[in-house]
Amino acid sequence: MIQIDSTDIKKQKKLALTWAITFLILFPVLITLGLLMRLRQGEVTEAAPSEFFSYMTLHGLGMAGVLFSFAFAALWYLNSTRYVKLNVKFGWFLYIIIAIGVVGLLIGTLIGKFGPGWYMLYPLPFKGTFWPLWATKLSVISLIILGVGWLVGILHILYALAKEYGGITNLLGWQYLKKDNSNIREIPSMVLITTISLIPGVFALIIGAAMLIMYLLQSFEPSLAFDPLMMKNMVMFFGHTLVNITMYCAVGWVYALLPEFTHREWKVNKAVVYSWNATFFFILFAYLHHLYMDFVQPTSLQYLGQIISYSSAIPATGITMFGVIAQVYHAKMKWSIIPLMFLFGMAGWAIGGFAAVVDSTIALNSSLHNTLWVPAHFHTYMLMGVVLFILGFLYYLFSGNNKEEKDSFGNAGFWIFVLGSYGFLLMFYLGGLNSVPRRYSNYSGIEIDHVRETGVHLAQCAALFVGVLLIGLILMYLSLICRLVQQKATNKKND
Amino acid sequence: MFYLLSFFWNDWLSITMPRHQLIQLPAMLLLGILLAYCFSTLAIQDMYWGIAILIFIMASFIFWMLPHSIDVAVINKHFNRVMHINMLLSGFLLILVFRKIFFEVKILFLGMITAMLLASGITLSVFNMLLCSSFSIEQQKQTGLYLIFIAIALFIFTAITFFSYLRNRSK
Ligand code: HEM
Repeated sequence: MIQIDSTDIKKQKKLALTWAITFLILFPVLITLGLLMRLRQGEVTEAAPSEFFSYMTLHGLGMAGVLFSFAFAALWYLNSTRYVKLNVKFGWFLYIIIAIGVVGLLIGTLIGKFGPGWYMLYPLPFKGTFWPLWATKLSVISLIILGVGWLVGILHILYALAKEYGGITNLLGWQYLKKDNSNIREIPSMVLITTISLIPGVFALIIGAAMLIMYLLQSFEPSLAFDPLMMKNMVMFFGHTLVNITMYCAVGWVYALLPEFTHREWKVNKAVVYSWNATFFFILFAYLHHLYMDFVQPTSLQYLGQIISYSSAIPATGITMFGVIAQVYHAKMKWSIIPLMFLFGMAGWAIGGFAAVVDSTIALNSSLHNTLWVPAHFHTYMLMGVVLFILGFLYYLFSGNNKEEKDSFGNAGFWIFVLGSYGFLLMFYLGGLNSVPRRYSNYSGIEIDHVRETGVHLAQCAALFVGVLLIGLILMYLSLICRLVQQKATNKKND
Repeated sequence: MFYLLSFFWNDWLSITMPRHQLIQLPAMLLLGILLAYCFSTLAIQDMYWGIAILIFIMASFIFWMLPHSIDVAVINKHFNRVMHINMLLSGFLLILVFRKIFFEVKILFLGMITAMLLASGITLSVFNMLLCSSFSIEQQKQTGLYLIFIAIALFIFTAITFFSYLRNRSK
């Protein structure tokens, strides 16, 4: 087992704290954009469609990018302070590259009003746009910069882990599958999950780069016409994979941190290896469920999409849920805010995952497609899954040795946040069930009275719930700041 | 070999776009790569220089894919020779850099070149306007199609390189 010296840990912690603070600044800004969208849909404000769509694009790209970047940064921190040496200067370099990409995107969307939505479905960014061409170019270049940053970062982690654990086969846990596995190199579960999550990311980012280069070429030569179906396959392979692995990265640190609270080991075994290796394969093809409505997509791929979407829900989720139950069942643990967040994060993952499987069923998708059911399911596992895992990690990072201490302020914030979030999500689900379409800046154009009125009312209620979740978030921010200040003071005393 | 490709067969290689872009240009690159293997001890040690050279190589690829550069290279023999020398040098330097550069940069470079070739291949195969006046639109589409094949092959090569680097990396 590698020994990491305390100065290295301190340096890595500084980097992690910088990421954390960046996240804590950007996250509420992006939520505010979401709130503005719901207010517009609820006819409380009168923002122009151009504003709504640029907010929607920044909100979608921003959330997906910020959550992935932070999940990556958290994995970087945990791996580099426990299992493997990572170059901290390189870590700072990545931070700067990603920051440049984010600034470019902010300018492109907020000033340039780039607004085709987060996956920029081709040829949307080029046909009948309300934003100037420079905004498209800048946003595409910024995304390429972000992709390059993520790609080299992923490669750095994977290479270091492979060096430490004796190669990729060990990282994938194949040594556990041997008949005689008495003398094998054991790997921590987080390392296995980091590997399984990040390798598909490498391929997704390369295909994403090809697609973005084509967007760039199109922005220079308007008469170009690519095959929209091919572009949709590429963009979904890239986008869906990236969002999917964000969740798995976050699950990775739950495997590493939850045992510290339950005082039970959570080791890799054959079942864990089989299920996560199966997930490795499913991650790459699950995106096909985004193309159900594209009748020109070969039918065989549509069926494959359904089979893989169903299958992808079982192994990793199943084994992790059982693992969590085994961890917490009758465990002598204090239910402090960190394990609570991890447990609720798991629930969010399961609920959102179930709603996703419902939507990926072809027969149901024909009525739920492009309704608010879609944002409902992914907001569930992102907001009530990934975000809770991230907040749990932030509490872990910001607490010194008082990780299990009672924190009534933080707890109150947590419960208010969960209440507000599920209320906000419920409005999306009800919207989906009532056929309210997604991505409408306002519902005034809908001719069916019932759908229009339901859409408006649900949006108003959702905005109220967003207010509630923001209050919860503020309380948690205050408790986080207190913990950080306390930790700094203790460190100073010890120095 | 350089003489054959750059002088003796030059006219034949410049007649069609696939020959010019898919045979002559990669052949020069390959020649540079082979040349580097003759100097097995030479390597660029410094990482910053290595990255700068990789950027130069990437810029060279982009430059020689620009329609205007292709046109001038076909019309003007001297300019064409600059392309040959540039590609030869790129291949040579590529190996010198690859001998010492980090794994991360290597895969990033290969990945980005794959992405670039795939994007250019698809673009050329769907574009209905003649980009290089020295060639025909059919040749342009054919070049695009073969470029896609090359990109797929390079993607597989990148994947193999990636996994082989991660295999048995124990310290
Ligand atoms: C916490 C408060 C949040 C609020 C109030 C919010 C609100 C919204 C709203 C109103 C939409 C547009 C829905 C439509 O009509 O189609 C939307 C879309 C979206 N949101 Fe959120 N959201 C929140 C959190 C998140 C999180 C945590 C993520 C993480 C990935 C996320 C990612 C997205 C994406 C990707 C879209 C789709 C954008 C598009 O269609 O281009 N949101 N959100």
